[in-house]
Amino acid sequence: MNLSFLRLSVWIYLAIFFAYLLGPLVIMAVTAFNSPSFPSATPWECLTFEWFSALFQDTRILNGIKNSIIIGAGTVVLSVLMGLAGALMLTQIWPKLRATYYTVIIAPILIPGVVLGISTLVFWDRINRMVGLGPDSVLSSGLFLTILGQSTFIASYCMLVLVARLQRYDTALTEAALDLGATHAQAFRKVLLPFMRPAIASAAVLAFLASFENYNTTTFTFGEYPTLTIELAQKVRYGISPAISALAFIIVILTVFAALTNEAAIRRRELVAAARREATVAELSGGGVKLPGFLSGNAAAGLLVALAIATIVVVGTATVYSPDQCITDIREQKRIEADLRAEELRRKRDEERKLKAAEEPAPAAPTGTGTSSGSFGGVFDPNALQNAPAAPEAEANPPAGNNSGFGGVFDPNALKGTDN
Amino acid sequence: MSAGVGVDLENLWIRFGDFVAVRDANVNIKGGDFFSFLGPSGCGKTTILRAVSGFLDPSEGNVLIGGKNMKGVGPNKRPTALIFQNLALFPLMKVWENIAFSMEIKGASAAERRKRADELLEMIALEGQGDKLPSELSGGQRQRVAIARALCAEPHVLLLDEPLSALDLKLRQHMRTELREIQQRVGITFIYITHDQGEALTMSDSIAVMRAGVIDQIGDGKTIYNDPATPFAASFVGENNVFRGKVKQVSGDRVLVQSNRSGELLARVSTANVGKMKEGDSAMIFIRPEALELAKTGTEGDHYVSARVVNEEFEGNVFNIFMEGDGGKEIKVSLPNHGQSFDSHKGETMTLRYDVKNAVAMPAGVLATE
Amino acid sequence: MPRFLKDFLTRNGTGPGLVMLGLVLFWTVGLIILPQLSMLDFSFRPNLPPPEIGGPKDVYTLENYKYLVYGPEGGGQAYNAVDLMVFFRTLVAAVCVTVFNLILCYPIAYYLGQTKGNHIRVLALMLIIPYWINEILRAFALRIIFGETGVLNTILTGIGLFDTPFDFIRNDYALYAGLGYAYILLMIFPIYNVIESLDHNQIEAARDLGAPWWRIHWRVVIPYAKPGISSGCTMVFMLSAGALAAPQILGGPSSLWFTQLIYQQFNDSSDWPQGAAYAVVLLVTCILLVLAIMRLFKVNMGDIGK
Repeated sequence: MNLSFLRLSVWIYLAIFFAYLLGPLVIMAVTAFNSPSFPSATPWECLTFEWFSALFQDTRILNGIKNSIIIGAGTVVLSVLMGLAGALMLTQIWPKLRATYYTVIIAPILIPGVVLGISTLVFWDRINRMVGLGPDSVLSSGLFLTILGQSTFIASYCMLVLVARLQRYDTALTEAALDLGATHAQAFRKVLLPFMRPAIASAAVLAFLASFENYNTTTFTFGEYPTLTIELAQKVRYGISPAISALAFIIVILTVFAALTNEAAIRRRELVAAARREATVAELSGGGVKLPGFLSGNAAAGLLVALAIATIVVVGTATVYSPDQCITDIREQKRIEADLRAEELRRKRDEERKLKAAEEPAPAAPTGTGTSSGSFGGVFDPNALQNAPAAPEAEANPPAGNNSGFGGVFDPNALKGTDN
Repeated sequence: MSAGVGVDLENLWIRFGDFVAVRDANVNIKGGDFFSFLGPSGCGKTTILRAVSGFLDPSEGNVLIGGKNMKGVGPNKRPTALIFQNLALFPLMKVWENIAFSMEIKGASAAERRKRADELLEMIALEGQGDKLPSELSGGQRQRVAIARALCAEPHVLLLDEPLSALDLKLRQHMRTELREIQQRVGITFIYITHDQGEALTMSDSIAVMRAGVIDQIGDGKTIYNDPATPFAASFVGENNVFRGKVKQVSGDRVLVQSNRSGELLARVSTANVGKMKEGDSAMIFIRPEALELAKTGTEGDHYVSARVVNEEFEGNVFNIFMEGDGGKEIKVSLPNHGQSFDSHKGETMTLRYDVKNAVAMPAGVLATE
Repeated sequence: MPRFLKDFLTRNGTGPGLVMLGLVLFWTVGLIILPQLSMLDFSFRPNLPPPEIGGPKDVYTLENYKYLVYGPEGGGQAYNAVDLMVFFRTLVAAVCVTVFNLILCYPIAYYLGQTKGNHIRVLALMLIIPYWINEILRAFALRIIFGETGVLNTILTGIGLFDTPFDFIRNDYALYAGLGYAYILLMIFPIYNVIESLDHNQIEAARDLGAPWWRIHWRVVIPYAKPGISSGCTMVFMLSAGALAAPQILGGPSSLWFTQLIYQQFNDSSDWPQGAAYAVVLLVTCILLVLAIMRLFKVNMGDIGK
């Protein structure tokens, strides 16, 4: 087969794949800056930052973030501890028990999250009753149940991460520490733990992310403590708003920040290690090793700085920028278009009535309008949402006056708001 | 530096399930000695070391250090320090922190630790390298750091588990001398584990030869080399030619053996086996390659061997001649190179002479497989 | 004290050893085994108000399982057609999503695993970033795209492919795309991990011997990557069958996912034992299916999670 053709098709495949992977996120990010209150990237109307302020005023979201952080912290502590203990046990358990033990601690990854949530709920409810505590005891608190439920399977993830590192640990190091007079606890703290630290850090990050985004288990156990994910799911199920896009955008940016920081740190460590290797003894003991600058030879660090500057610029723009003029213009333009359209419709209807004298109103959708249909979709959307029963923050949002009266009738999405 | 104390193993048995790793070991190691356990891998020598350092409980018998029974005393409470085969330097600690780890455990201040570490670094000729990481040192330097770390704990007994095996040949030979020097300077007991007979012979005051969990012989290097107690010790330590046969006649420490291929050979019974050989027994005679010399062709007698030359090689300091021996194994003769001319005798039958005191006889037994 | 325990405590020290043992026991017994058994037990009990639990009416019954098969007592139909349909549709759809993901991800995993260069790091980073973002938000992003006035419909009607917007959501296309999207990483990573360790020389050797590319994959790469493939497929299948967020957000109003039935029984009809029974059915079926397939392809449990 022709090699360059093969290479080309590989690149096309990669492009399509990553478009599938990243495209939705990019489009969602774009909708966070577009003014229509139904999240849409096309047609582009006005650059706006109002969805961000709407987000920061949403007390349920903020409360959800608070709960998520509390639960995340609890889950990180519990699952890293259990994962570490589980991993250590795996390396020294009696060989005949090993396979069974491994199956038990790996099973939570495969058990559907829904099942984990239910079993946690049912089990602790029973314990609670056996102990004779009331329905508002600690054992039936959403915080407690969610941490336990999530830790059940997140500990398995942590265990896998930690075992991978532990397999590279030389047990002779612990023996060396003991031999030099350390107690078991000292050997653990001074030798094994520092060795495991990078893996523990990754496990903790993984645990926090897994906890933060968990839905399936939490939805059965959250009780009085809805997490961010739960709140988001409620909102998304009963009506969507660009404020959610704004939140997603923030998370994406934070993620990219974290990833770049991590990359930059790794690259930096490599550079420092290289510099140390070349350093002379005198430089090392004098502490005078000439280390490379933070940015030199470090693409990730460069990107990081660029991103930081971009963020500052955008936030700065947002504080002074007002999309009011644009929104008014667009609204005016749409009003005129809508008037024209209504006028035309009325005329058509009149003609039809004259011709057929039939009492059949034109079926709504602006189907035949060709190029202008796109912009119409945009006009009608907000109303569709506002008409929908459960879209609390959409109603609270500023763009009042968008209701040009026609949207609800024409827009097919009016139905959709109530679909779910 | 603390003085060395003696280590005694009394009727030591160590079993793992049905497998016997060490069988009834009895060893008395004098304080301040350099003592080696020499044996092929899997012979149980590392197991003994782990029992002495406290990582393993003996199944039976006792380990005594300085006369005190160590039963129930954990590795962190014993006056021993172990140098691991892979050194086990803590990879994330700097060199000086590694060395002073035992002081950190006891709660010494950073300044104190640093001072002591620098002293030890000087002793091992690594001044100023304390701020490096172990991974930034060479193999030989790491080796010395491991020794310094162990010495910093001020042990009465230093245990070394094949510490030179990872080094290349040149460095290994250099470190032999260095280890011996350090041992003589600090004066504590060294117990050294190795499968390399060269290491054991050059460094040790005393050597125990081990095979499959059993200690075959204990003695100084010369005794082990010149007067082996078992066929295994004879064939494992250094090169040796073996002649098998049946005892024909015994008188005192002299024995005449009817060999399978080389006629009747006269030999000396090894010290450990005097009185244990009688007529008709299977016997083995060991003669080292350097104890054989060329004799006039056709000479016969009970200390001459005749055989056909199969191969010859020039090794620099010696000429090696390989001749047909019994059991498919060739007889090796090493002639020192004095600059004499050397003609090829390939294919010819030649006669070799040996001194009877250099031919050691003992009851037949297991040879080292190598 | 058993010998194993004694050795364990001497090896780790009594204090640290006990802490470790305690944590492992809490996790395995307290969080994994007992809750599952408790759920199983619960699924065999009638739905009673709290005061009657443990009372005379609290007896074992098969009612909850019968309900799944036969429907409510006195119901008009012979079988609980609705719930059973949902159940089988969920399993079939989960299998489809798994196969789709495998086909989509295998080339990527192979490319990432066998190509050297700096851009691989960048690609890997781009793979991971979407997975740091909430599952709900990812489903939300797809909903923006597949919505009736979403990007896809705007484009499709814009270029004149459709006259009217196509309802991707009602037709479940959005759901399948969303489920596939949600678990891409879990398919790629296990396969990638295995393929990365495959010596490139083997492929070169096969090519050198004249094997066409598809045969190289069929005879060399895929057999080698089998543990990774089975691990990825198991994860994706279990997670798709057990997914709740994607069906809730992207699913059409008339088509339910089995987990949604469980959710309804817990949250809407407050029939916990019924929900527990459905959860047990889901769990057991999924495990049996996975075990059967693992037996078929001769892979071990130990390969999962690598």
